[in-house]
Amino acid sequence: MIRVVHYVNQFFGGIGGEDKADLPPRLVEGPVGPGKAVQAALGERGEVVATVICGDNYFAENIERASGEVRELVLPYKPDLFVAGPAFNAGRYGIACGATCKMAQNELGIIPAITGMYEENPGVDLYRRDVYIIQTTDRAKGMADAVSKMMNFAGKLLGKQSIGRPADEGYFPRGQLVNELVDLTGAERVIDMLLSKLRKEPFESEVERPVYDRVKPASPIKDIRSATIALVTDGGLVPKGNPDRIEMTTATRFGRYDIKNVDTLDPADYEVSHGGYDSTLVRQDPNRLVPVDAMRDLERKGAIGKLHDKFYSTTGLSSIVDIMKKVGQRIAESLKAEGVSGVILTST
Amino acid sequence: MRLELNTLMIRDIHFADKTIVTDRVLRINREELQKLLLEDPRFRRIDVELAHPGEKCRILQVVDVIEPRAKTSPGDEDFPGVVGGQVPVGRGSTCVLGGTAVVLSDYRERREVGKSTDPSGDIIDMWGPGAYAGIFGKTHNIVLLPTPSDGVNTHAYMAALKIAGLKTASYLARAGKGITPDATEVFELPPLTEIKDGFERLPRVVYIFQILTLQFDPIPGEPVLYGRNVPDMVPALIHPNEVFDGALTSPMPTLHVQTYQIQNHPIIKELYKRHGKDLCFAGVIVTTAPNNMTEIERIANMAASLAKYTVGADGAVLTKIGGGAPELTLAKTAQLCERLGIKTAIATLHMAADISDPKYGATTIFSMPEVDAIVSMGVPFMRLTLPPVERIIGRAGVSAEGAPVNGEMVRATNYIKGTHCQIGGSRLKAIRY
Repeated sequence: MIRVVHYVNQFFGGIGGEDKADLPPRLVEGPVGPGKAVQAALGERGEVVATVICGDNYFAENIERASGEVRELVLPYKPDLFVAGPAFNAGRYGIACGATCKMAQNELGIIPAITGMYEENPGVDLYRRDVYIIQTTDRAKGMADAVSKMMNFAGKLLGKQSIGRPADEGYFPRGQLVNELVDLTGAERVIDMLLSKLRKEPFESEVERPVYDRVKPASPIKDIRSATIALVTDGGLVPKGNPDRIEMTTATRFGRYDIKNVDTLDPADYEVSHGGYDSTLVRQDPNRLVPVDAMRDLERKGAIGKLHDKFYSTTGLSSIVDIMKKVGQRIAESLKAEGVSGVILTST
Repeated sequence: MRLELNTLMIRDIHFADKTIVTDRVLRINREELQKLLLEDPRFRRIDVELAHPGEKCRILQVVDVIEPRAKTSPGDEDFPGVVGGQVPVGRGSTCVLGGTAVVLSDYRERREVGKSTDPSGDIIDMWGPGAYAGIFGKTHNIVLLPTPSDGVNTHAYMAALKIAGLKTASYLARAGKGITPDATEVFELPPLTEIKDGFERLPRVVYIFQILTLQFDPIPGEPVLYGRNVPDMVPALIHPNEVFDGALTSPMPTLHVQTYQIQNHPIIKELYKRHGKDLCFAGVIVTTAPNNMTEIERIANMAASLAKYTVGADGAVLTKIGGGAPELTLAKTAQLCERLGIKTAIATLHMAADISDPKYGATTIFSMPEVDAIVSMGVPFMRLTLPPVERIIGRAGVSAEGAPVNGEMVRATNYIKGTHCQIGGSRLKAIRY
């Protein structure tokens, strides 16, 4: 017999509307509201042993505390499966469903958990990496269908069956990119896709267009003659021995290297940790990647105030955007703290 | 132009007193081959080893792979500008030793490798998951292991290595001349001016094929197109048969495209298959991937204009070679084609893949609304655990950190030659879960 605990908000729990949204979690034995559909889907195989009901504001405003309180209420019931919602397009409820499913998976003896939401529910973006969220309509009139899909999917999780692709199974992608062997070669597929496009038939790109941040350029330097200018590169120039162990590809680190009183970079002092270009010329003359010599000239001529005492280096090759974003932020914060007002970025 | 590829399916290879094909077995006179290759003064010595499918063997430092092929029609020559003289290829007939491959291994001693680089370099495993994943664990391989003469620098050595590979491919396939082939493929495409029989009503499709990336310094003397390296090449129309028949090689470091795959170009073969049925195959534009935006725009403009105003293409298939700059060139070219009214579809490997985040997971490094038909050929960074082997062919580089090259190793498929194919050969596709 599969023991199921179900989470619902104050509204679906039959307690009240917005006026009861500050209600702390409470537990009721047996199914309540949509829990009856959960019970119907389970049939003889299982039982909704308890329902946790919590106010939306209470949960969304104290996610950690509320999750902990839900855990304490549920623990004695030793569930085999945790079901939350579905939350449709209710934002705070969606967050609660995602958070309680995550808690159940991680803290209730690693049991499967399932919820359902509409694609625009903020809970989707917050929790789809962690939990399976079945795609639902935006309104509660899709309840029967949503619960039935959730419970079918839960059956697969309980039976440890292999889980298919997001589009086939109806859950939101959790983000893992996996190579699979498909029936057709890339050559066959790309020509099929072109032909569909030429025939004005629908076609589905296999790669989503990425969304990149727009970066607002900084305001111009007011007085370049008094400005401190730093050199930053993604070409992987590092002191001999690569003290910061900057990876040759898919880097996660950066280095900050002293060039105080250095007039020109000596090839004997540097090496390159980068596998994406032929670094022979840079190893012969590191100034051609990090132009310390040219900057010293400008400094002497008074064209700039001063070359910054450190240069920064990382490796831009098959880099992961998220990681590089953090590396960039850390370099920028550090430069800002050091009083740098302009940066020359050299890439390879 | 009409080309006949006659394939002998080779079921085994051995060293013997004479280089000859009998009963689908290729016998190789090793000394004769070594002597031929040592005519190049850039080599001091050449070792040649054989590796067979299923053998617990790993080939190290693989830089390129070439299929043995030799022209059999009178007046024609193999790999023009390298082995043969400057004669056109793509017509007549060619003998192919199917099921075999010439593997080029960088065999320099104390080869400099980066601190965090695996000393085995790009590998081919002849058994286990590595052999299953790649195509070169399934062929009988003739591995060339040349030692450079004193004073021969990296570029000279690499160019000589490529040339040695082409010489070997021609030398071996000549042994197949006069033997009844197991399969014959005919590739025939008339000039654009002679399209008729209703073909002119089908959509004209051109293939825009990047053959060289300038993200790496071109190796002087490396034969890339009709015997020459072509860093300054402008986009040019060539006949698809020339691609199959030895006019082109994959420039080192042959990132996800080996010469073998170009000789068996999957997209060109597929376009041929659909020619006269779904589309009218209007030719191949070979182009390069420059390393700066001005040049990228120049090359992309010229390629798109050629496709539109010379070929009159309705549609274009595009692929890239190499990494980031080629991907930008590819996208830019597709975008310009679309703006000229040519529909495009592109196929790429995800070299900038963020495998953990569905929303900002950048699986391409460009974001252009016009480039809306993209085929995924997989992420080259998935890891495979390769079991230990009993035999190593090749010389490991010098690295402080590398594990023993014959032991179990975890390698990204990136480094297993023949796993991925930038020109559409594999059935891999990256899927978000």
